[in-house]
Amino acid sequence: MPHERPILADLKVLDLSWIVAGPTVGRALADFGATVIRVESSARVDTARIVGPFHADEPGVENSGLYGNVNAGKLGIALDLRVPAARDVLRDLVRWADVMSESFTAGVLQKWDLHYDALRQIKPDLIMLSSTLLGQYGPERGVSGFGTQGAGMSGALDLTGWPDRPPAGPYGPYTDYPAPRFALTALLAALEHRRLTGRGVHIDQAQAEATLHLLAPALIDYVNGGPSLQRRGNDDPQMSPHGVYPSLPPADRDEAWIAITARDDADWRSLAQLISGLDPNLTLPQRRDRSAELDAAIAAWSEQRSAAEAEQALQAAGVPAHALASSEDAANDPQLAHRNHFLRLPHPLHGQTIVEAPRYQLSDTPGAPAAPAPQVGQHTTQILQEILGYSDARITDLAAAGALS
Amino acid sequence: MLNHLRVLDLTDQRGVLAGQMLADLGADVIQVEPPAGSRGRRVAPFFGGDAPETERSIFWTAYTRNKRGITCDIEHSDGRTLLRRLLDSADILLESADPGAMAALGLGYQQLKDDFPQLIYTSITAFGQTGPKARYQATDLVIWAAGTPLLMSGDDDRPPVRISVPQSWSHAAGDAAGGAMLALHARRATGRGQHVDISAQVSAAQATLGQVLAHSLGAVEPERYAGGVKARGVGFRGTREVEDGWIVLALAPGPAVGHFVNHAVRWLIDEGVLEAELAEENFVTYPDRLAAGAADPDLLPRIQEVMQAHVRGKTKREMLDVSIAYDLLLVPVLNIADLAESRQLDARGFWREFTLDDGRSLRLPAAPLQIRIDGAPQRWDDRPPPRLGQHNDEVWGELGLSADELTALRERGII
Repeated sequence: MPHERPILADLKVLDLSWIVAGPTVGRALADFGATVIRVESSARVDTARIVGPFHADEPGVENSGLYGNVNAGKLGIALDLRVPAARDVLRDLVRWADVMSESFTAGVLQKWDLHYDALRQIKPDLIMLSSTLLGQYGPERGVSGFGTQGAGMSGALDLTGWPDRPPAGPYGPYTDYPAPRFALTALLAALEHRRLTGRGVHIDQAQAEATLHLLAPALIDYVNGGPSLQRRGNDDPQMSPHGVYPSLPPADRDEAWIAITARDDADWRSLAQLISGLDPNLTLPQRRDRSAELDAAIAAWSEQRSAAEAEQALQAAGVPAHALASSEDAANDPQLAHRNHFLRLPHPLHGQTIVEAPRYQLSDTPGAPAAPAPQVGQHTTQILQEILGYSDARITDLAAAGALS
Repeated sequence: MLNHLRVLDLTDQRGVLAGQMLADLGADVIQVEPPAGSRGRRVAPFFGGDAPETERSIFWTAYTRNKRGITCDIEHSDGRTLLRRLLDSADILLESADPGAMAALGLGYQQLKDDFPQLIYTSITAFGQTGPKARYQATDLVIWAAGTPLLMSGDDDRPPVRISVPQSWSHAAGDAAGGAMLALHARRATGRGQHVDISAQVSAAQATLGQVLAHSLGAVEPERYAGGVKARGVGFRGTREVEDGWIVLALAPGPAVGHFVNHAVRWLIDEGVLEAELAEENFVTYPDRLAAGAADPDLLPRIQEVMQAHVRGKTKREMLDVSIAYDLLLVPVLNIADLAESRQLDARGFWREFTLDDGRSLRLPAAPLQIRIDGAPQRWDDRPPPRLGQHNDEVWGELGLSADELTALRERGII
């Protein structure tokens, strides 16, 4: 029986983070009913607003699908923290909040006396998440960077690509992808702990370290006397074949691909039944020795059919395979549709926007964003009046002082 | 922080990180394996040495630190009876069997929810519990393809590539840990556990910088390009060669990042390769002035060229120090060997040394977050990865099983 009231309806979150890693955490809390106030400044808008994909491919600070995806369901307030009066507003918001999330370069909040040790004087049970590329302390803590730099500093960039080529790297700021998982889990643990003990918690996250945990087997191998892993294309030491093969592209595309993998001899035998000329009795070492020849035979088969057709044939035979999905393929994917993964939300500027659904499906208390992401400062007056109880005169003064931009 | 919680972790190589994330926050996480050992113990890479293969998987070692380890044959009805005794005290169950496999054993969510109403039953699968692709066979590469990040990554003249360390299941594991914690908060409100259904395909879509939405929003598809990005057929490469490898270098003007160009100019002047007058130039406003015809269109390209030529003779380490000193948008492309020597990781206590009971010493990453409670640092990552069945006596003993009962269960191959 579904539960009516959102599970985090009593939770109040102040979100000063930006781009992807931090905002993704706030989005998850908002999905499950938390009131999340996103603090921004029009003096320096969130970089996510100037990164696509854009609505109708039209760049603009209110057009970013990336910003929309990681900030849906939040309220937006504009505060220029360089103005002292804005910092007083922020302190009032801290008194209101249960959780504060931020991703300023280490040291910036200290300058404004808004770092954790200052804020816990006014809010002893504050739960605060500080998430930066390399963390709050250490000799390299001041390295500026977005997640793209993090991909370099975490090893993910070096470990993606071909052995005979320079590193290619994964798509975009890779450290922004693992980091919010660790941060969200810890933040919810801290809230559970506060419920039991009444005590506040500060979480210092280095996004590069979170990412290193996803590369841990290679690191552990090396520091315990093993080899230093080099990027190896799509090779896998325990699976063969294991690769990306060409498919017949649809009329409007230049290329299409399919991933085909054999976990074991049984998968290989299934593959050999489907593609003529493959010897079903080859062992893993034999298949790896002859991979160039076998890959060519598989490619000769795959390039004669669409990726969807090959995927269906291979999966029907029990062979792990899938077309390399584009965003168009994802939009048309029956499995993602089954999970209702692309959510349509009414939008004041675009009529409608589309965001991803929560990545966790809870059977009894499902989450979903209640509204699209805020425009810059969209709820400034509402927040100052309704949440902080400021008078109109005070709000006018703040605006005149330049605090609300 | 989670010391009052018990987690039964039945995952194999698919999602084994999730339990460690909860253990690193204090939870009592018990890894439950078949008596012959999890399939995850057969995943590469391996340590050398004489120990049996089940004790040498580096992959398994990486993601079972801080857990207790027991064995239980859930294919056998006596094993299932034992597991049910353990479930009485469990808050969270983590599992990553194919959809329907646990139900076939009588251990599906629907079969357990009435007997264990408190239980948060968390399932990690490639595509989710139901739907047209729920029964698809999957591997890391297949999930990365289905979730869309694979198509976006690699050299534009070769097939797309994955990251050389498999990632898909770890992303899903991260979502499983978060989803289980959300369900824990729900339990405070509802008094009941529930089913958390994680799809690794959906988790992988996180690794696209929102580009999984491109078509839905009417934007163009992203294009893959080694070491950078490509838009409408034009590539912008961020990786640059230096003496001992590569750096990532961004010299772009404008309000978001233009100040980093100013800083780079200052460094190049100090290095004597740019004229001092350029210190006055402001690359924050450069695009606006360029549009108004009030800036030199050749200036930024010239600075980029000087920068690229000048870094070529420097090392990664030198350039990192320059980046810190001058505040540049520049980092080295660290490889595994570089990371092992990172002074930043050392300063943050990233590594923990364990001595195993066979005398081997083992260096593992510590918990990936620094947590302070009322200002005091906390850690819950002291336990080395368990050997197969290492905590059978301890855990089953806590349930009241006698030494004789345990011996009998062992002889029958149940534990």
